[in-house]
Amino acid sequence: MKKRHEQKLVLVSIIIFILLNVPIILLFDKADKVIGIPMIYAYIFMVWIASIAITFFVVKRYNE
Amino acid sequence: MNSVGLFILVLLYLVLLFFIASVAEKSRKPFWVNNPYIYSLSIAVYCSAWTYYGSIGVAATRGLEYLTIYIGPIIIIPAWILINAKIIRISRVNKISSIADFISLRYGNSRSLGALITLICAAAIVPYIGLQIKAISDTFHLVSHTANSNNIFTDSATYVVALITVFSSYYGTKYVDASERRVGVIAAVAAESILKLVFFLVLGIYVTYGVFNGWDDLYAQASTFSDFAHKNSIGGLTGALNWCLMSLLSMSAIFLLPRQFHTTIVENRREKHLRTALWLVPLYLLLINIFVFPVAWGGNILFKGASVNAEMYSILIPQKFGQDVITVIVFLGGLSASVSMIIISSIALSIMMSNNLIIPYGILNRISESNVKDNTKLIVTVRKIGIALLIVCAYLFYKFYINENSLFSVGLMSFVIIAQLAPSFFAAIFWKRGSYWGAVSGLIAGVFMCYKMLILPEMSGANVSHSFFTIDYFDPMTNAFFWSLFVNTVIFAVVSIFGKGNYTERNYAEMYVDIDKYLKYQDSAFVWKGTAETEDIRRILIRFLGEEKTKQALHIFNQKYNITDEEDTADARLIKFSENLLAGRIGTASAKILIESVTKEDKISLPEVLGILEESKQNILLNKQLTEQSQKLKQLSAQLQHANASLLEKDKQKDEFLDAVAHELRTPITAIRAAGELLQDDEDMPEGIRSQFLYNIISESDRLNELINDILYLDKLEHTEQVLEIAQYNIKNTIKKVIQPIEHLVEKEEIKLDVRLNLTREFFYYDEKRMIQVINNLLANAIKFTKDRHGEILLSVCNPQENLELKIYNSGKQIPDDELEMIFEKFYQSRNQNLKKPLGSGLGLSISKKIIEAHHGYIYAKNILDGVQFTLSVPQNYDKYEKNNYSR
Repeated sequence: MKKRHEQKLVLVSIIIFILLNVPIILLFDKADKVIGIPMIYAYIFMVWIASIAITFFVVKRYNE
Repeated sequence: MNSVGLFILVLLYLVLLFFIASVAEKSRKPFWVNNPYIYSLSIAVYCSAWTYYGSIGVAATRGLEYLTIYIGPIIIIPAWILINAKIIRISRVNKISSIADFISLRYGNSRSLGALITLICAAAIVPYIGLQIKAISDTFHLVSHTANSNNIFTDSATYVVALITVFSSYYGTKYVDASERRVGVIAAVAAESILKLVFFLVLGIYVTYGVFNGWDDLYAQASTFSDFAHKNSIGGLTGALNWCLMSLLSMSAIFLLPRQFHTTIVENRREKHLRTALWLVPLYLLLINIFVFPVAWGGNILFKGASVNAEMYSILIPQKFGQDVITVIVFLGGLSASVSMIIISSIALSIMMSNNLIIPYGILNRISESNVKDNTKLIVTVRKIGIALLIVCAYLFYKFYINENSLFSVGLMSFVIIAQLAPSFFAAIFWKRGSYWGAVSGLIAGVFMCYKMLILPEMSGANVSHSFFTIDYFDPMTNAFFWSLFVNTVIFAVVSIFGKGNYTERNYAEMYVDIDKYLKYQDSAFVWKGTAETEDIRRILIRFLGEEKTKQALHIFNQKYNITDEEDTADARLIKFSENLLAGRIGTASAKILIESVTKEDKISLPEVLGILEESKQNILLNKQLTEQSQKLKQLSAQLQHANASLLEKDKQKDEFLDAVAHELRTPITAIRAAGELLQDDEDMPEGIRSQFLYNIISESDRLNELINDILYLDKLEHTEQVLEIAQYNIKNTIKKVIQPIEHLVEKEEIKLDVRLNLTREFFYYDEKRMIQVINNLLANAIKFTKDRHGEILLSVCNPQENLELKIYNSGKQIPDDELEMIFEKFYQSRNQNLKKPLGSGLGLSISKKIIEAHHGYIYAKNILDGVQFTLSVPQNYDKYEKNNYSR
């Protein structure tokens, strides 16, 4: 994998770190029902799923 | 289910593991050996019983914070592509077999640092293994409805643990070389990862859809709890701070836990397997976490008011509804989680104990004296006993100490202690200045802080006393983590910066941080000065590798560096190479000690090391540049040769050209001279013959004139002084102008001339006068070469892609393929033509080519059917500016 594509993955790491930390995570810090679970769970799982999807895409696309 | 039945089930389960391990070990097919999915699943050993039972307990009683254990890893895993790729490369080059090796090698291959790290890991991991045993034991008793017995020998859990011990020590010590990959164990662990995930999902689906009516029902019932909102939130800014620190803690754990280092780094077979792990491991962690919330709150709802251990909800819930199958399945899943953790942790720890503690401090003298067979046996035995001892210790720890404490707190305590390795670990990869003393003092200070703030209060059983260090909005655990790591990092950095550098350390620092640069020249990256005999080193190698393998290894080494087998003084490369060979078996520190015992090393200063390293770096660079330059030179010389050849050819052509010119000029002159002489000598010549001679003189002079004109014109064209008069002309008219004068000739020769116009427009830009000249030339050529009678000539005009294209075909003799290009050269006359007197000046095609090129077009000849076709093309897309340029 080229350096450039490796940095995309590092960027994914940095972005999830920011999304799952103060202050952004506090925006979703509620137990209100969202798709059957408390909002905070829904938010964390969404970020989680998105990060897997993006990583998967980057790895498959630029795997040489 | 009774305890005997359950015990037999456990036995069957372990037999299955043995079976998978032995199949993988024996077949060694690519499926087992080269499989990124097995690699990724083996990393899921991260999910131990703590995940399986502990998460549910925390989610039920405390809330969200169990998630932090996974948030840290999922944040950092995408960046593994950079960090772990580097660690894997360093470990591969240096034959590193544990985290203790990895860190201690970087700080000068120090025996004491390796031992210190081993002790810290053991202190952190033995209780953690104890936890797993506790989970197995507790759930065993819960499922079989038996009481927890205090007598070790009557407690059935003891026998379960004994079985696991046998399995780990059998498969964990299959290879003497600790850096060797263990196919069997890893395959078994990967299988266990699948089992624990599937079984946990079965439980989750059962609770969510079997016991409750889906997520909405669960949420509706759970939200009636008064603490529901509180437990399902981060807990404001204070909670978020704890959350952040806990994520950092788990982030460092996924690198530093010996079992994680072992599966991700030591057992990595191909670097590219890492790419699959990048998405598969987070996916795995996600799947195993999805049903934690419903099971935890399902338990809270079902056991409201009852005093039960929330950690056991996953077994208690199916048990409450009499679902024996699901109960047993959950138990087996938990067993998989525990067993895989115990196996990998104990293997990793036993390697560290043997390579970093027992061999360098205890039996090194003994093994350096005896032979390969005894040594191999001894090392394997040490590791086997090590594994057994660790599990026994953990078992005793569980029996007599942690019986009352929850999975979560003991687990976190291990994490905090292991996290003390973080500063020296990450600095090893990214910071060249970190020093041995910095690492040691930082580690000791960090561990001391852990002891003061975590272990002491835990042991005394008292509540954490409020001390100066207590930060109110931190949990005791985050508080301890924060302070210990803070003190550790600061001391490490300060001591490193203020201390004087040491050359061996700096040598490894360069190698670690710039691993990509040294990867190719791995052995040259090691600086060593002194005297050593190849024979002495060979003798040591034989003791550990055996006669045959040593011979092979040294042969490979000699071939790689172009050294003759007779060479008897060893250089730095051989020293490093031999250390690497030994490192897997006895650890890097012992390897160094052994090699040192037979060599005499000269002291060198740090600047000298840096100088040598810089030099070797530059050498590598220079080498690269040299090869590049020599390649360039090669290309240049090839071009020169080509140019020379074509010059020679041109020279020859010029000679021939001069000959031809002389010959051509002489012919008409001879004719003129002959006619003149006759006219002078014979004054009584009849009028008819006389005028015939005069006519000959005039026509020959014309030919002479034409020839000289052609030569001059060609010269003009070649010096690009020729002015073209480009304007819009009707191509039809131009063609007509060409055809009319030769129609008569064509008829006489009985040649069939066909003109085909296939045009979308009629007006094109060109210089009409010159174009006529070109077409004339080509047609004259065609007539000349058409078979004497009944030949045919075809002139076709079209305009593809904005270009004006003419094709002139004539039947008749073809041009040899290798001469197709040469015919456009001056005075080129076909080889077979030399016999006959040439008909034209021999400049026609040359002039035509020059004219077309001045139009920015091209011309070429091709053999088709039973004749030759000339194609010329003139572009029409030049803009006004260029047009002006032409008619300048």
